[in-house]
Amino acid sequence: MRRAMRAIAMMWAVLACAACSLHNAQNALDAAGPQSSRIAGLWWLMLPIASVVWVIVVAVMLWGAARKRSPREAVESRGGSDVLVRDDARDRRMTRIVAAGVIVTAMTLFLMLIADFRVGQALTMAPSTKVVPIKILGHQFWWEVQYPDSVPNKTVITANEIHIPVGTPVVMELSSLDVIHSFWVPSLTGKKDLLPGYTRSLWFRADTPGVYRGQCAEFCGLEHAKMGILVIAQKQQDFDAWRAQQLDTAATPSDSLAQHGKNVFLGTTCVMCHTIGGTAAGATTGPDLTHLASRQTIAAGTLQNTDANLYAWISDPQRIKPGVLMPATKLDPRDMQALVAYLRHLK
Amino acid sequence: MCSRFADRALRAGLVVLAVAALAACPRERRTFHDSPPAASPAAESAKVVRSDSGVSRQGPYGENAYALNQGKQLFAAFNCVGCHSHGGGGMGPPLMDSAWIYGFEPANIYATIANGRPNGMPSFKNRITPQQTWELVAYVRAMSGQGSKAARTNRSDEMEVRSAEAQTTTEKPVLVAPPPTVTPPAQEHP
Amino acid sequence: MRLSTSALCIAALSVTGCGLDSRRTPAGAEGQEPHIVLQTSLPAGGTGAHIDAAATAPEDGQWIRPAKDFASSRFSGLKEINTSNVASLKPAWTFPTGVKRGQEAAPIVVGHMMYVVTPYPNLLYAFDLSKPGASVKWMYNPKPLTSSQGEACCDVVNRGASYADGKIIYATLDNNVVAVDADNGKEVWRTRVGDINKGETMTIAPLIVKDRVIVGNSGGEMGVRGWLKGLDLKTGAVKWTALTTGPDSVVLIGPSFKPFYEKDQGTDLGVQTWPGTTWQIGGGGVWGWISYDPSLDLIFYGTSNPGPWNPEQRPGDNKWTSTFFARRPETGEAIWAYQMNPHDLHDYDGVNESILLDIPWKGSRRGILVHPDRNGYMYALDRTTGEVVYANPYVHITSSDSVNLKTGELALNPTKEPKLGKTVRDVCPAAPGGKDWQPSSFSPRTGLMYVPHQNLCMDEQPTAVSYISGTPYVGMDVRMKPGIGGNRGFLTAWNPVTGRPVWRIAEPFPVWSGTLATAGDVVFYGTMEGWFKAVDARTGALLWKYKTTSGIIGQPVAYRGPDGKEYIAVLSGVGGWSGAIVAGGLDPRDSSAALGFVGVMRDLPTVTPKGGTLYVFSLR
Repeated sequence: MRRAMRAIAMMWAVLACAACSLHNAQNALDAAGPQSSRIAGLWWLMLPIASVVWVIVVAVMLWGAARKRSPREAVESRGGSDVLVRDDARDRRMTRIVAAGVIVTAMTLFLMLIADFRVGQALTMAPSTKVVPIKILGHQFWWEVQYPDSVPNKTVITANEIHIPVGTPVVMELSSLDVIHSFWVPSLTGKKDLLPGYTRSLWFRADTPGVYRGQCAEFCGLEHAKMGILVIAQKQQDFDAWRAQQLDTAATPSDSLAQHGKNVFLGTTCVMCHTIGGTAAGATTGPDLTHLASRQTIAAGTLQNTDANLYAWISDPQRIKPGVLMPATKLDPRDMQALVAYLRHLK
Repeated sequence: MCSRFADRALRAGLVVLAVAALAACPRERRTFHDSPPAASPAAESAKVVRSDSGVSRQGPYGENAYALNQGKQLFAAFNCVGCHSHGGGGMGPPLMDSAWIYGFEPANIYATIANGRPNGMPSFKNRITPQQTWELVAYVRAMSGQGSKAARTNRSDEMEVRSAEAQTTTEKPVLVAPPPTVTPPAQEHP
Repeated sequence: MRLSTSALCIAALSVTGCGLDSRRTPAGAEGQEPHIVLQTSLPAGGTGAHIDAAATAPEDGQWIRPAKDFASSRFSGLKEINTSNVASLKPAWTFPTGVKRGQEAAPIVVGHMMYVVTPYPNLLYAFDLSKPGASVKWMYNPKPLTSSQGEACCDVVNRGASYADGKIIYATLDNNVVAVDADNGKEVWRTRVGDINKGETMTIAPLIVKDRVIVGNSGGEMGVRGWLKGLDLKTGAVKWTALTTGPDSVVLIGPSFKPFYEKDQGTDLGVQTWPGTTWQIGGGGVWGWISYDPSLDLIFYGTSNPGPWNPEQRPGDNKWTSTFFARRPETGEAIWAYQMNPHDLHDYDGVNESILLDIPWKGSRRGILVHPDRNGYMYALDRTTGEVVYANPYVHITSSDSVNLKTGELALNPTKEPKLGKTVRDVCPAAPGGKDWQPSSFSPRTGLMYVPHQNLCMDEQPTAVSYISGTPYVGMDVRMKPGIGGNRGFLTAWNPVTGRPVWRIAEPFPVWSGTLATAGDVVFYGTMEGWFKAVDARTGALLWKYKTTSGIIGQPVAYRGPDGKEYIAVLSGVGGWSGAIVAGGLDPRDSSAALGFVGVMRDLPTVTPKGGTLYVFSLR
């Protein structure tokens, strides 16, 4: 029985995951932390119950449809006159069946309610231990990530990639600057909507190092489907090293090509939307690029962060994500190569 | 029976006509990466772009609600709001009134954004793409009620500070003189 | 004496029916009457406050710097024009400057000459007062770059010139400090100290102390990095630059730096209190007033708001913006600092004037500076240490609850904190603060300060904003409205000893002009409708008024002419931030225009046109 259930569940999971092509890591049943294991546990509780109930209901329905109807009341001829006779015993039997059905249903639902409530409570209960606070701001179609610190100068700002230490709870503050988005990293946590003008919070923990893909889960516009996010769970010391490195301002390019690329960046459309720490570029419409080269993907989890992809993306983002807010930048190939060289430099 | 048939035929005919009429309404085109009509490199120079050079009097996007809306977003994102507020002006002149210092034709506004103007308007050439510039042109015109009313934006994301562009009454735009260069009185010598 | 004063104050409070939290609402703020007396009588000898003796000089009939003396008293010892004869004051002569923008400058009088700086293009006129009709002797045109007009946040104003060493020295809008020979109008030196491409402009009136010309930049709305510079009086060479943000070395914080409060102590706070590299574009310009205490050898000045206005983009205290500094004029070295508005939320610049006074305090005398801050509190700071002696509200305040005198901290009202995507309503005072740049005066005869200010509240909503070099860096939609009572301005007479208002005059528009107190016990000020008014320094009773051709936002001065008579001079010509709707021809349908000021000044164009005229009054 259990094996059959598992097979059915896997079939569903495979169907659900068929769309995941870049990272095959978006799986709510492949839990990597306490939050997602609770959610998965709830699933494993509800799936067999629901399956059994479904089988029973269908069976009873089929039986009801197929069986010969026997009248509840019958007219009998007694002593020359017709008398209406009720089968009282049958009535009592039916009442008992219905009552039992109601009680079993109520109990089953109540059991699931308790389980659901306990999971919900566990998901929302703020952790009491030391946490990593992170602020997430949703944009069309990317994620702004901030790590606030008690020393304001140690604030880290990045995009589309969240680094977290393994074993330490992460408390997120989520909001949006344009439309409603929803933050969902299936392997780590359930969904939470990002609402403009409101700040909502969510916490989760990753227990296994790894890269977990997440996705905007609320339709937010044309490129909603390509609004991905990566959560990179690392050992504490790796996380600390990453954080320290993200605090640096952008390195001044040493070679002339990259130096030229920096001038291209500061003189073209790039500078109107992006920030590169330590330069005159300080715009916040697009993602912060101070450490772009240290990220695994570009275009919000859409492309691997390679030279060729960067080149293609900057030349015409609309071919890759039609409707994205970044315009095509028409540059001659030398300038474009220099620009890519500069961006590669932003470790 | 006959009348019922005629009635049915009439209804069917009306439905067909309605569908045909709907098909005649073209869906608004959203241009993502095509260059707008007049934004060829030669035409980008302000002196060449004139209202009679193939660009309609509305500019390429004067009747395109999507482009107008993009223009409105860019107007905030590129800090135009900082100087011109939401049309009332501040450090820069108001844009929601009918007075225009450097011309009200789409081509004039394009030139103002791309090349700047001497009394404080910076040049955004190379920093704002031609397509974005035309979107801004369409929105700037919409602020004072120019361009298609149906396409003009009807709401704002920010706190309400003015009535919507779609509600702005269209006044005839007029050219006004640029701020006078001060001619101080002739120096007197003792 | 102080006891009876406070008793009267309390009586006045109960009469005006102050029902609101008295910590936050000064008495009379909710009054409708144009003239509100809060304290019925004033001791004949005044309140006991005096101008710091070292920072002032005996009356010589001149007016060589906008603030009159180093103590910034704006008090003239001339008494020919007094309460009994001021009613017969008449214009002696007028002069149209030819520039119809906001005229904020103070005319400067040296010997028999008068010097007037206009708004952009910053012409300098020299009038020979000994000639009939005070003819123009020469005119100097510094020819500032036209593009600088697009970088000035709040009209292309100039706050005046200063005289020293035979030179008239002032700053142009395009960041040149020029020294012009006072005699013949020839340029002696010119030093470019800022870059308009970074959004920097200059509107400040320089303060000349010994051989230093001290100037600062404007541009808190443009993402500039604020500074104060000391230039050599002889050559114009920059001798020191004290940046407002950045590591201690560039803020000129060294071993002598001793801030009084723990919250202002630490290393490299100008970097640590900003996220990332935002301190490089964090504002904190210096465009207001500088005072100088010769006995302590300290200059005092405040820094402007942090940029952008949207506070969510700059978590932290954002030091040293909205901070009061004491520095050595020779070297620029910082001695103490007190941050009035850490992590400023509402554009509360700290640049307003400070008047150096000595007041009776707990049985002895104490050297203080009184600084009406934009945040609505009148701060009395100890000049030696920077300790807050008192900080009392002079307008209705909802943005904060009080100032803690033990820790120096401002207790903010959390419900008025701007959040992205949310509209915060009824923030009082509004962005221009309880008082903006318009300088107060002080009369040692009454011991009162005459504070011109506004009465405005606002709704605001932050928006995400990008730093794009040379463009505004604000990120806030603002919609201003009149404060309690409906009048938008006040002239308040403030008792600097008790820290309480004595009387106040309600004006329909913000009182955006400076005030002038004279030994004739008359206080002069202008209104935005164009009235130039004289009131009794003791009671506030209106004695005289004259309608000029445009709204007045200038600084009145008094001088003794070559003929020995007393004259009062003021520039008329509406503009500035409050008058931008007229000076810039802005559209009243957009409440957010001119950073939200237009919404509350919609009726101004119906009462005054643009203007630019110098008025000089005398008794005939």
